Amino acid sequence: MSLAEVLPELQSLSRVDKIRVIQFLAQALERDEDALIEPGQSYPVWSPDRAFSAAATLLKELEIDKGSA
Amino acid sequence: MISPAQQFPYLQRDPSLAIASQAPMLPLMLIGRNNVAASGLVDSGAAVNVLPYTLGLQLGFDWATQTKSVELSGNLSSIEARVIVVSAVIGDFAPVRQAFAWAKTDSVLVILGQVNFFLEFDVCFFRSRSVFEVRPKG
Repeated sequence: MSLAEVLPELQSLSRVDKIRVIQFLAQALERDEDALIEPGQSYPVWSPDRAFSAAATLLKELEIDKGSA
Repeated sequence: MISPAQQFPYLQRDPSLAIASQAPMLPLMLIGRNNVAASGLVDSGAAVNVLPYTLGLQLGFDWATQTKSVELSGNLSSIEARVIVVSAVIGDFAPVRQAFAWAKTDSVLVILGQVNFFLEFDVCFFRSRSVFEVRPKG
């Protein structure tokens, strides 16, 4: 069902029911977002994000590798 | 001339977490003394490429003879690592030399980081479409 089909029916609802629809949709959206990151689950981050000294060593090793090719 | 990009799908790494576990995992062939097919996490937050221990052994490297140590950070800060250089073939692109911090653990996956994966390849992520594109540097 498309939004264009639903809208006229929503407009015909009473004020109270319109508020209920808003609450229902807000809760549904919140559930969808919560499902992206589950409480209690483990999400490891392995990035060696500050290994700059290691990066410099790797670059030096690549230069040596290039020279020996 | 700029090479055309090749597109790869994001892969689900944990079925129980569905879309939350999707990651840009790049299939590649690593060429050392032996050839090993692998899949690497394309990680722009990683300063270096990382290789797990068993994969290094499968490539034919001997830990004892790789004497150049490097220090990692993040979750890997306590893990010993040594430098190795191998060729890597990605998609239909020509092989490139890639240096890895070979970690003495199998609890890490192959990580493709700034040195030197991102120095060799330009990458575009399209997370909303669950695809990413890779092309050799221009």
